Amino acid sequence: MMAPPWLDVLDETIKVCVTHNRHDLELRLREKRARQLDPTVRVLVIGEAKQGKSQLVNALINAPVCAVGDDITTTVPTFVRHAETPSAALVRSASRRSAIASSPTERVPVPIDQVAQQVGHEVVRAEIGIPRALLTTGLVLIDTPGVGDLRPAHTASTFAVLVQADAVLMVSDATAELTATELELLRKVLENCPNVTVVVTKIDISPQWRQVVERNRALLARAGISAQLFPVSSALRLRAAKSGDKGLNAESGFPDLLACLQRDVVAGSDRLARRTVAAAAGSAITQLVAPLREELSAQDSRRTADTIGALHEAQRRIDELRRRSARWQTVLADEMADLVSDIEYDLRDRTRTILREVDRTFEEADPATGWDAFEQWLEDNLTEAATTNFSWLLDRAEWVAEKVARSFPVHRDDLLPPEIFPDDVLDRVNKLDRPRIESFSLPQKAFTGLRGSYGGVLMFGLVTSLAGMPLINVISLGAGALFGGKSIKDESDTRLKRRQAAARAAAQRHVDDFFLKFSKDCRDAARHVQRSLRNHFTTLAEELQETLLESARSAKRAVQDDQTERERRAREIRSDLDALVALYKRAQALGGPGLELSA
Amino acid sequence: MTPHAAAWAMLNEALAVYRDSPRATAFLRAQLARFGEPVRVAVAGAPGAGKSTVVNSLIGEEIAPVEGLVSYRDGPAPRAVVIAPPAPPQEVPIVRRDGRQRVDSGAWRSQQVERVLVDWPARSLRETSLLDTPGGASPELVFGEADAVVYLMRHMHDADLRFLQAGGDRPSVSTVVVLSRADEIGGGRIDALSSAKQIARRYRRDPQVQPLCQNVVAVAGLLAVAARTLRDAEFDAVAALAALPRTDLEEHLLSADRFVGHDFPVALAPQVRQGLLERFGIFGVRLTATLVRQGFDTRTKLVGQLVQRSGLGELRDAIGQNFTERHEVLKALSVWRALEFVLRAEPRQGARKLTADLERALASAHDLKELRLLAALQTGRTTLPGDLEAEAVRIVGGEGTDPVARLGMDFEPDERSLRLAVTDVLRRWQDQAVNPVLDTAQRAAAGVVVRSCEGMLTRLS
Repeated sequence: MMAPPWLDVLDETIKVCVTHNRHDLELRLREKRARQLDPTVRVLVIGEAKQGKSQLVNALINAPVCAVGDDITTTVPTFVRHAETPSAALVRSASRRSAIASSPTERVPVPIDQVAQQVGHEVVRAEIGIPRALLTTGLVLIDTPGVGDLRPAHTASTFAVLVQADAVLMVSDATAELTATELELLRKVLENCPNVTVVVTKIDISPQWRQVVERNRALLARAGISAQLFPVSSALRLRAAKSGDKGLNAESGFPDLLACLQRDVVAGSDRLARRTVAAAAGSAITQLVAPLREELSAQDSRRTADTIGALHEAQRRIDELRRRSARWQTVLADEMADLVSDIEYDLRDRTRTILREVDRTFEEADPATGWDAFEQWLEDNLTEAATTNFSWLLDRAEWVAEKVARSFPVHRDDLLPPEIFPDDVLDRVNKLDRPRIESFSLPQKAFTGLRGSYGGVLMFGLVTSLAGMPLINVISLGAGALFGGKSIKDESDTRLKRRQAAARAAAQRHVDDFFLKFSKDCRDAARHVQRSLRNHFTTLAEELQETLLESARSAKRAVQDDQTERERRAREIRSDLDALVALYKRAQALGGPGLELSA
Repeated sequence: MTPHAAAWAMLNEALAVYRDSPRATAFLRAQLARFGEPVRVAVAGAPGAGKSTVVNSLIGEEIAPVEGLVSYRDGPAPRAVVIAPPAPPQEVPIVRRDGRQRVDSGAWRSQQVERVLVDWPARSLRETSLLDTPGGASPELVFGEADAVVYLMRHMHDADLRFLQAGGDRPSVSTVVVLSRADEIGGGRIDALSSAKQIARRYRRDPQVQPLCQNVVAVAGLLAVAARTLRDAEFDAVAALAALPRTDLEEHLLSADRFVGHDFPVALAPQVRQGLLERFGIFGVRLTATLVRQGFDTRTKLVGQLVQRSGLGELRDAIGQNFTERHEVLKALSVWRALEFVLRAEPRQGARKLTADLERALASAHDLKELRLLAALQTGRTTLPGDLEAEAVRIVGGEGTDPVARLGMDFEPDERSLRLAVTDVLRRWQDQAVNPVLDTAQRAAAGVVVRSCEGMLTRLS
């Protein structure tokens, strides 16, 4: 036997779904495939609450197998199929099935039969077997809970069963025309199953059922839904079955509905399969095509934009780095020049203060007596000046390092160099030269005194000799002593001045030496700092640049790769699309005549 | 000050504050006019839910449905005015045809008509005026126009639930849900109405429906209208039907088609039967025939029985208890909502005090919560174990609203002992409010009681 054409289309569609990694679609189609190969035909009875769905099923098979009641009654889907003896089973969960009640379901006196009482929360569906000619061909009627009542679980279970349906009977009662929500439901059903028949029930209690049917036809036409519509009365049908009244049965409208079921659903199962497959494959292919189309149209814009964007970003960052490294170098040079001049000025300032102090000291003090103490004082002061100056240099250098780090283009934790300072620069400066200190010895003093007194004796001796006094007399001797004393004092003053001048000169020299030496050291230190900072940051910048260049190169490669990849992908998508469209056409061809036939 | 008086005062104050805004003034004046009217009850529901039928049954007169918003109020003589802006209000004649009243809005097309005002002399309209709303009316329109709502539905559908939820906190204090067309439940079986009443009872306890209405009743609108306007000819026809042997008649009452079919055993013209069918429905015909046979064989007896069975009495009681008796609170609520709207739409400096007052009034609308709990406890929707229930009813004001009555004291206490007693009760109910043995509804009820106790305590200090 040759496989029917719809099977080929379905299998191919499944294959395509697999290659496109749409396992959800694949699963759905496989389910459809299994069902189409299954000889049973499932007819789902669907509708809003309290429209008479269960009663319709009962009336179709002339047996009260489904519970009917005035309040919400049906809570789980009920499958009614053929069986040699009446039997019922509840399916408790997806896999486990337990036959609870095998009681005959025909003659239960209350409307709620055994099955309905046993239905608990864990039951997912009820299965009822009953010997009926209508069902022998493999017809399965599925009664469902009402859609849109207050328990969403009911609606959900109804939609779960909808996927399995080969045909759907949409039930709406004759007391009111189709509501907006019912039309919405009908549309939703049509998406899953194209074989829908609308059944208008309860025509026995509605005097205006003819108008309602007419309005429903108009509503369906306006909504663009081509479905047959049958007005029926389950109550009349059941009563006719009980009394065997043929006329009443005809009045109930069921013969027409049954004929339609037989003709269109049961006998036309191949056409049904074709229509179902056409719809299912069509919807699956549409779902496959949509993302492909999207990808194709988005390719040029979105994906390329990403890679090119990455490239631009990398180049921008390299430029930025270049710009910034020029800036950090300038900062370093400027700051270090400032630093050196500041440091030198500071040192000079400090030494000048010391020298002024020295001057003041030696205006009064005699180097001969306090030289040692002075030497100690000078040494201490210079050391202090040097230490302060140098620590300032260190602080400033550190600050400069931070400033440079700030103007560096990226931030890293190891930006600041660990050690940029030279070892101790404070070498000893040469020892302070002791100035030559002349002493003023006693013979010298005597000689100087005598030399001074000679003049005095002679001056006053000559004056007094005029008065007849001898050259050497009391007055001249006294004057001689006075002059001698003065000469000694003058001489010792002169010597003190000389000593002070010598001491000052020595101190000056020493401080100059110190300044020269130390300022050189500081300058060296500063240059050392500058050099190590420059090395440090240059290394960092080089590393960074290398990284950026690498990322730019890879972005560039990506752009090039992307280009080829994209072209390849576009070709692939186009061929996929062509294949899908061809398949879609085949699927449509499958359903086409069937759809026309039923219209 | 009662909520009613407070609302009146606030409305007048708002008029003073907004005297320079013509729009707000017009709106507030309309509210002021509405304040003095009887409670306005809107009848709402999906298209085909039977709104006009229920309105007719409440008025006791068959008035053919008019498209759009129709408000019915008590008046000395039947009179109808069509309001269709920008045209001035225009009076239109009411004509009587085939025993039905018809508002002859002929020249007006339904899209133009904003609303139709109908004055009708009827006792039932003296304390409540009715508002028949169009099928697709939005919740905002319905809850905004009316002080209370009778919401019709055939079975609770998602859409109905959404409509009531859109009303915010209003449905829970001012809505009665009606299972209309109760006669069609159960395929028009003779016991359909008792079945419908059971379903109504179930909905009353449904956790999803319960917080959205005060009560659920089942009403067979068609039957109710027919009963209230039963004509002699109709009674005679029904009596003739009842005279037939039961089995013979049953055969012809199987379906509407059969009832108006040819070989009918009684000499009733097809038009008469058609008329009966239109007025009563097939269920109504079955029921009246059975009732006549059971001995309700005079017109008065039959009408009484039909009104009772149709559920109209229950609906009237529900409207009376929930709306008419509490019209002061409902009016106050409507005014507060209107003020809230005005204050929000045109906020201004001078309205500060008003805003604060309004906030206080709405926040202290604990009165409403108490009423809600009282209704729940008394209808058995909420039950509390043991003596707690009686005590809760007492504390929320079931026996009077002064502290002594609330606490159930049989002596006149001094302030100190009163305070002690309140503190004691408060503590016990605070425990109940978190008692894990009670279910959520019961704990919520205990919460309301706690709030009542706290209210007493603040009033004492």
